[in-house]
Amino acid sequence: MLLAQAITQMAPPQCLRCLRNSLQLVEHRSLIQPPTRAAFSTTSLLSAKAAQPRKTAGTSNKSKTLRLSKNIRQTAGKPPARGERKAVRKRIVLSNTNALEVDGLQDLTADKLARHSEGTVALQTFTGQVLGFSDETVDALRALESFKPTQAWSLFRRPASLVRKETAALANDMADTETDTSKVARKMVFGEKGSGKSVLLLQAHAMAFVKDWIVVHFPEGQDLTIAHSAYEPLRTPNGRIYVQPQYTAKLLLSIANANQALLSSLQLSRDHQLPFSVQSNMSLFRFAELGGRDPTIAWPIWQALWAELLTPATKAVQRPPVLVTMDGADQVMRVSAYLDPEAKPVHAHDLALVRDFANLLSGRTQLPNGGMVLAATCASNRAASPTLDYCLSRTYIKQEKASNAWHLLPLRGPSWDPYQLKDARVESAVMNVSALKLQGLSKDEARGVLEYYAKSGVLMNAVTDGFVSEKWSLAGHGVIGELEKGTVRMRF
Amino acid sequence: MPPRITPLVLRPRLASTALRAGPGPFRHIASKNNPDKLPEAPKGQPGPNTQQQEHVSEEAAKMAKIQGQEGPDMNQGTPVQDIMKEEKKQRDQAPEVLQQQMNSKQQSSNTKPSTNPGGSRSFSTSIRRRLELQPSTSPSDFNPAMLSSLGGANLSAGSSLDTPTATSNQLSHKFPLPAMDSIVNKAERYDPVVVQLTNFMMRDGKKSVAQRNMSVILNTLRTSPAPTYSATRALLPGAPPASYLPLHPIAYLTLAVDSVAPLMRIRSQRGAAGGGVALQIPVPLGLRQRRRTAFMWILDAVNKRQNRGSGRDMFPTRVANEIIAVVEGRSGVWERRMAVHRLATTSRANLNFRQGGGGRR
Repeated sequence: MLLAQAITQMAPPQCLRCLRNSLQLVEHRSLIQPPTRAAFSTTSLLSAKAAQPRKTAGTSNKSKTLRLSKNIRQTAGKPPARGERKAVRKRIVLSNTNALEVDGLQDLTADKLARHSEGTVALQTFTGQVLGFSDETVDALRALESFKPTQAWSLFRRPASLVRKETAALANDMADTETDTSKVARKMVFGEKGSGKSVLLLQAHAMAFVKDWIVVHFPEGQDLTIAHSAYEPLRTPNGRIYVQPQYTAKLLLSIANANQALLSSLQLSRDHQLPFSVQSNMSLFRFAELGGRDPTIAWPIWQALWAELLTPATKAVQRPPVLVTMDGADQVMRVSAYLDPEAKPVHAHDLALVRDFANLLSGRTQLPNGGMVLAATCASNRAASPTLDYCLSRTYIKQEKASNAWHLLPLRGPSWDPYQLKDARVESAVMNVSALKLQGLSKDEARGVLEYYAKSGVLMNAVTDGFVSEKWSLAGHGVIGELEKGTVRMRF
Repeated sequence: MPPRITPLVLRPRLASTALRAGPGPFRHIASKNNPDKLPEAPKGQPGPNTQQQEHVSEEAAKMAKIQGQEGPDMNQGTPVQDIMKEEKKQRDQAPEVLQQQMNSKQQSSNTKPSTNPGGSRSFSTSIRRRLELQPSTSPSDFNPAMLSSLGGANLSAGSSLDTPTATSNQLSHKFPLPAMDSIVNKAERYDPVVVQLTNFMMRDGKKSVAQRNMSVILNTLRTSPAPTYSATRALLPGAPPASYLPLHPIAYLTLAVDSVAPLMRIRSQRGAAGGGVALQIPVPLGLRQRRRTAFMWILDAVNKRQNRGSGRDMFPTRVANEIIAVVEGRSGVWERRMAVHRLATTSRANLNFRQGGGGRR
């Protein structure tokens, strides 16, 4: 016993991995306090002492302005702590105790996502109604960062969302892939500002959570590419890629927290080539959390976790379907703000996480257990990505022509400017992805959501046909963000 | 009853000036060439007096037809009394016979209820009388009539869009007409308090920014917990119960602003008190002026508050917090109101001061 203690004490205070840890922590530390000295140094301080201000008679250090009451800046109380101001700005409030409880508000449950005998999903009958989310779902959605601070969750009693036509269609796709795992829907959601793209992703997360799928969500494509997170190069047989250890760790933690119950029931099924040893029967939750706590090992754990999730399910090894989503995906379809050693900009698809997502989206990486891949563009902070725009509109027109709505469309699709270079990597990523365009709600759907506003007590109007028509028209034929703005947010 | 005088009113309106300025022939009143010869229009063009506007009765009949109502009978002409009903100036200048006739009609209509020998009212006023005896000072007595900007007004405006008119059995519009006054007149589209304060907050003419700020203020009021009324700071009499306020943010805002608004301002008349001392004269303020002063004080207090967060919603959040502080009686704005009122009370003797009237009377 004593010997064992002596050995542990004799071990160097910092092993090699811990030393690397300390270096990795520099990024974190710099956020907390300004660096005063190097993290690790044996050299003595050589710089000269700062000159002491000389005190001479007749001069004072005090300010030279006249001390009047109007010149003195008044401050009330302590200034906000570091990080507090941003936390206030990004705070997500999901409840308003003043709002009324809506009578008969049902929750989104697994039985509503089951298939009828006629072949349609039960959710189809709820189109135009508002469904709430259970507490566990809300916790998962919070962990995934599905809620955004710009959305109006804080005005209502509890989170709830409108089931629209597209939501029911997604539920249908999910039911499809559960019966036939080769049918994996891969979609790019686009539409104008306020048309409900992010909320559609949120609904997909909620449905997947209720169905016991694994949900992986990249909350904002911009965070991956604007070079606010550390990166390091990694040599692969296909060339050099860049890993973002801190971001990967954060993502792993969010995956672990959001899917805690499900991942805890799954275990590692095979040996992985990892730079450290893990228990062979470790639960996937613990495994993901391990990577989430330590950015240095986050990347190998991310790879191993995906290898586990993409293992075909057998009787011995249970593997659920996976939902992978990214919001603001237009930001990763272009050159990123990172620089390579030659100071050339790094293409976003050279970032390891983005590359993995693009492979899933394009179908180069198959999901053997079924699932769904969704990417949503962002209309308020749109990145210039001409190739993406071109591919999206081309796919959309092709789809519509295949359906019966061809006569409503322009005869010719978009044309590519021959003097501009097409981004081949982006094109290959989104070429075979179907385009889901979100447009305005129908009047029935608009009526459903307006009735929900009125029942919550935030809309003080009688919801009649004329009122619904008026608001629907003013909201650009039922664009839901504008509908909300016109009836709840900006209504004086 | 005297026989009804129904002269035919034919009052053609003047042809519009646009027609006169047109290319047609025009003879000025002072023109000397060919004074006997009246101008003639060239062939195919309208003459100076051919395109005249319609006569009032015809116009009224057309308007009534559009609106699905019964207009004036064009075969009979409009009685002069009906036209005088609308125009007060003409009523005063009417011949004595007509005036007498109209007065007798009014009297008969006024005295109509008294002719009923039963003497019972069709409605009960006992509750109203009791309320008048007990003036409500506690804020829990809610009188929705006090705040015209409550949701009730909105409700009626919204529902009037769609409720079919009372004469639904008559032949009328297929779809009921919207409440036009709330749509057409932009000055009455929004609540007056909200409009005034939004404009007051506006900087550099950026109204949309001010409107956005106002919406954040109202939404902050909506989401913050119901205020606790202070025992020492009396709000407007007839204020609604505190739990009512968060769901009616405009009423919340109106209550705060109107409660803290001063009744007077102090005008300093230089040299009027003698010895170079200014004379403090209280001057009563109008409703808009009172609200403006109150909101100016509130914004002064807001500027002294510190932000706890960052971003563009910080200013309206501070305003909302100050409004909550006003309703809860914590705000320093109350002190300013008290100070003005105290000074106005002490200087009330100066109210009779007249400038240029030989000093104080």
